[in-house]
Amino acid sequence: MHEARTGSVRSRRTLVVVLITAAAVIGATFAGAASGRSTAKTISVAIVANGQMQDIAKLTPSLFTAKSGIKVKYTILDEGKLRQVTTRDVGSGGKAFDAVMIGPYEAPQFGVAGLLKDLTPLAKGDRTYSYNDLIPAVRNALSANGHLYAAPFYGESSFLMYRKDILAKNGVKMPLHPTWQQVAAAARKIKTSSMAGICLRGKPGWGDLGAAFTTVLNTFGGTWWSAKPNGKPDKAQVDQPAFKDALDFYSTLVQDAGEKDAANSSFNECLTQYQAGKVAMWYDATVAAGTLEASDSPVKGKNGFAFAPVFKTKSSGWLWSWALAIPKSSPDPSDAWKYIAWATGKQYLRAAGPRVKGGWASIPPGTRVSTYRIPQYKKAAKAFAAITLAAMKAAPINNPGTTKRPGLPGVQYVGIPQFQDVGNRCTQLISAVIAGSMKDTAAISQCQQIAAQAIK
Amino acid sequence: MTVRKRRGTRLGVGERRTFVAGVGMLAWLVGLLWIFPVAWTVFTSFKTEQDAAAQTLHQGLTLARYSDVSHSTTGTLSLQTAFTNSLVVVIVSTVIVMLLALPAAYALAIRPIHKWRDVLFFFISTKFLPVVASIFPIYVYAEKWNLIGTRTVLIILYIAINLPLAVWMTRSFFMEVPRELIEAAEIDGTSLLNQLRSVILPIAAPGIAATALLCVIFAWNEYFYALQLNFASGSTMPQWVTSNVSTRGNFLAKLSAASIIACLPVVLAGWATQKRMIRGLSMGALK
Amino acid sequence: MLPALLYVVAITQLPFLVSIYYSLTNLKDKTQSLTPEPTKFVGFQNYRQIFSDPFFREAMWTSVKMTVLAVLLSLIIGTAFALLLDRKFFGQGIIRTLLITPFLLMPVVAALIWKQQMFSSLFGVLNKALNFLGLNSIAFISDHPLASIVTVLVWQWTPFMMLIILAGLQSQPSDILEAANVDGASGVGIFRQLTLPHLRPYLELGALLGSIFIVQAFDAIDVMTGGGPGSTNVPYFVYQESIGGGFRYGSASAYAIVVVIFSIVIATFALRLLSSLFKDEERG
Repeated sequence: MHEARTGSVRSRRTLVVVLITAAAVIGATFAGAASGRSTAKTISVAIVANGQMQDIAKLTPSLFTAKSGIKVKYTILDEGKLRQVTTRDVGSGGKAFDAVMIGPYEAPQFGVAGLLKDLTPLAKGDRTYSYNDLIPAVRNALSANGHLYAAPFYGESSFLMYRKDILAKNGVKMPLHPTWQQVAAAARKIKTSSMAGICLRGKPGWGDLGAAFTTVLNTFGGTWWSAKPNGKPDKAQVDQPAFKDALDFYSTLVQDAGEKDAANSSFNECLTQYQAGKVAMWYDATVAAGTLEASDSPVKGKNGFAFAPVFKTKSSGWLWSWALAIPKSSPDPSDAWKYIAWATGKQYLRAAGPRVKGGWASIPPGTRVSTYRIPQYKKAAKAFAAITLAAMKAAPINNPGTTKRPGLPGVQYVGIPQFQDVGNRCTQLISAVIAGSMKDTAAISQCQQIAAQAIK
Repeated sequence: MTVRKRRGTRLGVGERRTFVAGVGMLAWLVGLLWIFPVAWTVFTSFKTEQDAAAQTLHQGLTLARYSDVSHSTTGTLSLQTAFTNSLVVVIVSTVIVMLLALPAAYALAIRPIHKWRDVLFFFISTKFLPVVASIFPIYVYAEKWNLIGTRTVLIILYIAINLPLAVWMTRSFFMEVPRELIEAAEIDGTSLLNQLRSVILPIAAPGIAATALLCVIFAWNEYFYALQLNFASGSTMPQWVTSNVSTRGNFLAKLSAASIIACLPVVLAGWATQKRMIRGLSMGALK
Repeated sequence: MLPALLYVVAITQLPFLVSIYYSLTNLKDKTQSLTPEPTKFVGFQNYRQIFSDPFFREAMWTSVKMTVLAVLLSLIIGTAFALLLDRKFFGQGIIRTLLITPFLLMPVVAALIWKQQMFSSLFGVLNKALNFLGLNSIAFISDHPLASIVTVLVWQWTPFMMLIILAGLQSQPSDILEAANVDGASGVGIFRQLTLPHLRPYLELGALLGSIFIVQAFDAIDVMTGGGPGSTNVPYFVYQESIGGGFRYGSASAYAIVVVIFSIVIATFALRLLSSLFKDEERG
């Protein structure tokens, strides 16, 4: 059994080597580990993995914990996972978080369902919080029946960004309030084999493709559901002509003049391609402007901005914000409010400017009117600050389309619980149409079934 | 002719040297192609983000990404925390699994109880319920018993996940032990524990090692329960890896570095014990 | 023996029993209705709608396709690899080590590697290679979602199959093979008449274990396609119904119970066929 013995001796030796390596690695990782437990208060907050949120996570120890003595443990998740976790936590009375980050889709619904703490008395009662400084559209989108249920940390609308130089080279003028037809014509004209005319979201998800598509749907006169007189959803409207028109317009535009692999493209992919000069125009969130005009951006200074394109309505830009809310089951609501008041207050914005990686242009935009009066911000964000504020004020949250619909306020989503699932599953189908693997009629009939079933 | 029970260490029956050389080259080609995605990821982990995104190498190789991902802001999930959590959860759950599987296997192999077939089937059938379906009931109870965000809840769940497989495999290895040896030990009056130690375990050892390794692999790599039931403090390595998928800017190099770090322990363990695995599986995972 | 059994029963059956209970109610996340909706017992209502749900049928069909393709391909390729490795050549140990590595990776990492490094239209190596050869990029994941997911599954599970088959090859007594060789049998003939029958229980084990794990595949779908026509299998479908966006826990539980019943039926048949796995050993 000589073979077996050498075999096992060798493998024993390798095992020892492996164990020693493992021990070394463990030792090394522990070398830098923080020690001990402190008796300081600690709150647990769930936030989304955006740049501005990661900035505040970095700045919390020095700007907040140092002054208040409250430690903050962050759970940073991507949008989809964050929603699952917060919805389940808030909806099941979970105690894992003291504060959660949600958007204007969830805030009114959770608030009306009695699952969130009413922030109005806290916000109004704190003079330094400047409740009236919050941009009204943003504030109202996060409220229900006059009660604020989530404090905005970051706000955005949508608009069109384009390369001034490319358009000029092709002799295309972009008006400040373009129509979708004008934009489509421009895109088809300026596209080349190496540069797409426009980047539009195509990745499935009610907050990805769903957001961009729904604004187009609205301004084409369509909607997801019609409303009963009492505001509740009545009938699914996916099978209506306006929906098909919007779907055909969107998908053919992307197929003709849009980015490559559109079915996989959302904000990040379009951002990368725009900065790499692979697309000439981009319809997406206003917050992108901050990155495009940042000091290290390859396209800095080359960008023009126009309001979200329209067709049958006067404005169509969406409204979204990431906001902090306190679940009713939060273990420590008073410290949670102290944190929220700091994170969404005026002082943080001023303190963040000189400290965050992208400079003043990267501080959380779109929440307070006063932000747009800060001199350094006005200077750094000169190219887009004014139009961003105007877009946010113009977002038609109470009347986004041409017909009556349920789930208001809301532009790019329908504020009813069923929309999340319907939106996710229908955008899967729409994405397949964009990818060319499904016919528009098939997608429409399946989506109509999903939408009708959901409100039964 | 010598009767060799193990092959793979000499020329196969009837094969000429050149044939073997040709097959050897083919094997090299296949192996390198198969490992290419991993090799490319390792390569990417040493690049800058710009090079990673463009698949070029203008800015040379650097260890900076590894240090990028090893540092973290206070208050967010750190490599140290995730690593410790993973280590504890995996070791504890695997040890307990083996401790429970051994007597169960004994009862199904050496001294089969009457309904052993049904019991085995029952064990395997517990794997038919989709993990995603059981998550909500589990969440509800974990919440009730204050286990959300702890290592304990993961340990409990991983034991449940791995135990069926461990019982089944260990039972097969126990079947390999020649009946005569066991009967001899019984006649001698050796206690159950000593029977296990002196007779059964030495023979079944490679198989048991193989089983333990599989449990370690599945526990270390488990993502779904860890994500749904644990937040900042209780997170494990899989969650730490995905936290490196950033929404701002390019992240491919950092993600590659994080992936390599996260997978390294199990990969090293697998490499070190692969021969044992094969020997264990060949012994009779089949009976 | 008893402790292990009791423990497994408690941990695995408790969620199962609770799921059965939920499936008979209209349990939803509290956020799903604007007015508090008390959870009430609704009997078999959830089950009735399952059989008229075309999307569930599609998910089951996708599950079948995905599982059968992944298991068959990894079994065939794994056997081929095992045959390649079943002799000593220079660096045999190294190649074997390299080949088993994909199985040791986290499924999430494997999916991310393929999604971002290999298949991506923006960064991907495969498309860069195609472009280099003058061909157009292929949007692998968008245009071929099922194939992309099966690729990742096969990449990860082939080593597992390979190990099992390698074990089978190495447990083959070589004296019989030598005797056959001396008798003048060809390599292919030896393989077909002697090796393959010997490998049969190993192939069956690989297929069974592989199926049990691959049918539950989830991480790859979540990371690569996020669901969608053609890549939503049953676990992902149930997930979408439950915490993935539907938050209809009662209904999701009903789907899950149906799946379990289905699987038990299939497994019972399968195990009857694969009798070699449950053969009563000839002892003594």
